[in-house]
Amino acid sequence: MTMFHFLNCAILTFGPHAVYYSATPLSEYDTLGTSIKAAVVYLVTALVKLVCLATFLKVSESDSFDPYQELLKALIGFVDVAGLYFALTQLTHRNISQNHKFQAVGLGWAFADSVLHRLAPLWVGARGLEFTWDFVLQGLEANANLVLCLSLAALGSLIWLRKNKPKTLIPIIYACAGIVATMPSITSYLKRGLGWHFPKVVGFELFTSLVMAFISWQLFTACQRPSN
Amino acid sequence: MFVEPVYSSLITLLIIVVACAELCDAVTVVDVYRLVQYDLGGVPLGSRLAALNHHAGSSLYLSSAGAAADLSRTVLILPVRELNLTFIRDYIGQRKPLGGLLLLLPPVFSPQHSDSGGGADQDSAKDLVKEVLIEVERLLIHANIPYPVYFGFEDEAVHAMLGDVKKNDITGQPATATTGGYKLVVAAPEPRKVASPAIINIQGWLPGLKADGDSNQLPTIAIVASYDTFGAAPALSVGSDSNGSGVVALLEIARLFSILYSNPKTRGRYNLLFVLTSGGPYNYNGTHKWLRSMDQRLRETIDYAICLNSIGSSSNELWLHVSKPPENAYIKQIFEGFSTVSEELGLKVGLKHKKINISNPRESQMLSFICLALRTGYVPICMVSWEHEQFSRLRVTAATLSELSVAPDFLESTGGLSDNRNFINEASISRSVKLVAESLARHIYGQQGKSIDIFADHSSLSINPSYIRSWLEFLSTTPRVAPFLSKNDPLIVALKKELADHTVEVNVQQELLDGMFTFYDSTSGRLHIYQVASVTFDLILLLVLASYLIVLFSFLVILTRGLDDLISLFRRPSSRKVKTA
Repeated sequence: MTMFHFLNCAILTFGPHAVYYSATPLSEYDTLGTSIKAAVVYLVTALVKLVCLATFLKVSESDSFDPYQELLKALIGFVDVAGLYFALTQLTHRNISQNHKFQAVGLGWAFADSVLHRLAPLWVGARGLEFTWDFVLQGLEANANLVLCLSLAALGSLIWLRKNKPKTLIPIIYACAGIVATMPSITSYLKRGLGWHFPKVVGFELFTSLVMAFISWQLFTACQRPSN
Repeated sequence: MFVEPVYSSLITLLIIVVACAELCDAVTVVDVYRLVQYDLGGVPLGSRLAALNHHAGSSLYLSSAGAAADLSRTVLILPVRELNLTFIRDYIGQRKPLGGLLLLLPPVFSPQHSDSGGGADQDSAKDLVKEVLIEVERLLIHANIPYPVYFGFEDEAVHAMLGDVKKNDITGQPATATTGGYKLVVAAPEPRKVASPAIINIQGWLPGLKADGDSNQLPTIAIVASYDTFGAAPALSVGSDSNGSGVVALLEIARLFSILYSNPKTRGRYNLLFVLTSGGPYNYNGTHKWLRSMDQRLRETIDYAICLNSIGSSSNELWLHVSKPPENAYIKQIFEGFSTVSEELGLKVGLKHKKINISNPRESQMLSFICLALRTGYVPICMVSWEHEQFSRLRVTAATLSELSVAPDFLESTGGLSDNRNFINEASISRSVKLVAESLARHIYGQQGKSIDIFADHSSLSINPSYIRSWLEFLSTTPRVAPFLSKNDPLIVALKKELADHTVEVNVQQELLDGMFTFYDSTSGRLHIYQVASVTFDLILLLVLASYLIVLFSFLVILTRGLDDLISLFRRPSSRKVKTA
C-alpha cells in the first residue's frame, strides 16, 4: 500500500510537468532540449546557492524568524534570478519563438526544482507504513511552484528579451518579477515568523501562483500587442 | 582549493536531506517490555513469540462484534486500569487465538516514575490496580501463550491512539488493510535460550576477636538475603520489597557492624557472615548451592542464620519464621532477643513454625513438574518455601524475618510488576534494620535483657536513612532477574564493592542455575505505532489525481491550441476510418 501512496504522490508532483509539455504546443516544436538545458542551469545555480549559504549563513538552533538571516537568504535567492537570466539569454536555442522559449525554460526550471527538493523526501518518506498528508501537500506545492516558475520565466523574458515594451508597464513588470522572485522568503516568513501550518502555506502558495500567473499572462499579451 | 568547501557543502546538503527524511518519518515509538518466556522442566511457559506486526484493536471491538470476532490478526490493547479479570481469564484459559496482547500499566508502576504523593483516593485506586496486576501476573506466568505479550506504560501518545482505536471499534469494523487504522510493529529477533544462566552469590566475612591463646573457632552468625527477582516482565522486575528491602537492610547492618568491628576494643566474639544469594525465586537455589560448597567445619560454627525477606511495607507487624519447633532452646533465645527489642521499637514480632514438608498441597504444581523431571532424568529437589529451610535441611539453626505471615507460593512475591518504589516505606526498613542489628548486637556482646541502646539515634552508630534511601533507589531502578545477570553486571560489581567496603573478605561464587529452568532472552523492545491509510483511500486519491491531470490537460490544450484541437484529438481515429472507407 505504501508504494501505492508513493506512486500517487509522485504522479501529483511530477505529472503536471509532463502534462504541460504534452498539452501545449511545446511538444509539437520539440523543445525538450531547451528544457533539459534549463534544468542543468538550475542544478548549477542550486550548487552555487548552496556554497553561498554554507559560507555566509550561520546555523540557528531555534526555528524562529531571524530577519538578518532571512535577508541574507533572500539575497542569495537572487542567484536564482541570475541563473534564469543565463538560461534565457545566454544559451543557444533552436529557432523557437519567445512565447515557447520562456515556457520551455520555465518548465525545465520547475522540473529540476521538484526533482531536487521533493524526490528524495518522497522516496524515503512516502514508502513507509505511516500515513501523513505531508507528501500530498508537497505535491500541491510542486504544482504551485511550476506556475510560479512559468510566471517568473515569462516576466524574465519580458525584461531581458523583449526590447520594445510600453513605458507604463515596465515598473509593473519589475514589481511583479520582484514579488515572484522573493516568494521563497515570503513563504519561509509565513512558516516561521507567523507560524502558519503547512496546509495554510500551500493554499497561500497556490492562490498567489495563480494570481501572479494571471497577471504575468496579461502583461505578456499586453506587451505582444505593439509588435503585432 | 575550491574542492573542500564544495565537498563540505555537499555533505551538509546530504545531512540536511537525511534529517528531512528522518523528520518526515514521524512515528510514535514506545518502549515496551515482553512477558517472560521460560521452560519449567521442559514445559514451555510464558509468551512464546517476540515479533509483532498486526493491527491494533481494543476491548470495545469484542463487545460490539460479539464472540465470533476473529482476533488472530489483531493486537488487543488493554489498559490494566479498566481490565476485566474474567475476560482475561477466559481468553488465556481457553487459549483463544490472538495476534498479540499489549497491557498498559499506569505510570506509577514505572521504575523511573517518582511518586509525587497523592490523596487517599489515589492510594486506594493504586491498591486496586495492584491487586488486579498481581492476579494478571499470576495468570500470565503460569500459562503457555503462543502470541507475543508486551507491557507498556500509559502516556499521551498511547492514550490518543487508544482513543482513536476505540472510536473505530465502536462501529464494529475490524482494523485491516482495507479500513485503515493503526498498526503496531515490534521488530524483535527470534528469542533464544540464555546459554548458561548463572547464579552468583556474594559473601562478606567479618571476623570476630579471637582471645590470645584461644585455639577454638569463634562462633559465626550469618545474615542472608536473596537479591534477585522474577516477574511477568523481566525488564521491569525491580522488586523493591521482594527483596530489595532485604538487601538494603543487609548492607546497612553490615555497615553498622563494620564500624563496631573496626576497633579491636569493640569487636565481638562472633564472626559475622553477610551473604547476598541469588536464585531466590527458584527454590532458593543459590542458598542451597552456597551451603553445599561451604567448608563443613565452617558450617558447623554457624550459631544461627537470619534470613531477610520483604521487610519494607508499612505494617507494624513482622514475623519470624522457623522450622525447628518453638520449644527449642536456640529458637527461644533468638525470639526472646527479637521480642525485647521490638517492644522498645513499637513493633510486633510473631513466631511462626512451619515444618519442611515435600508433600505440601500448595506446591502440587511444582510436584507435577518434579514427576516430569524424574522422567527426564533430573534429580528432584526438595521444595522449600523460605530461605531458612535450606539451612535447616543441613541442621543449621536459621530463621526468616519477613512481613509476610504465610509462605508465598512458587514464583509469587518474587518482585513482580506491582513491586516497585512507590509501594515501599523507608521508615519500616530502618526500623527492621534497628530490630535485627540491636538484637544481634545484644546477643554478640552478651547484653540481653539489659536496657541498652547500641544503635541509638543521633549517635555515630545510628541508622543512616540516606544510605538506605540511595541503595533502595538504585535497586528500584535495576531489574535483577538472575539468568540475565552476568558476573560483570554493574549490579553485581556494585554489591561486591559495597560488601568489600564493610567486610574484610569478599568471595563471589558463580554456579549454574538448576537445569529445570530455561530462560529465553528478548525481554524488551521498541513498539512502533503507525497510522496507516486504507487501500480505498489510495484508490480514491488515484482517481482524484487522474481526473485532475485530465482536466489540466484539457485546460491547457484549450488555452494554447483552442477547443477544436481538443475535439480533434478524440476525432482523429474515426476520421481516419472514414478516409480508408
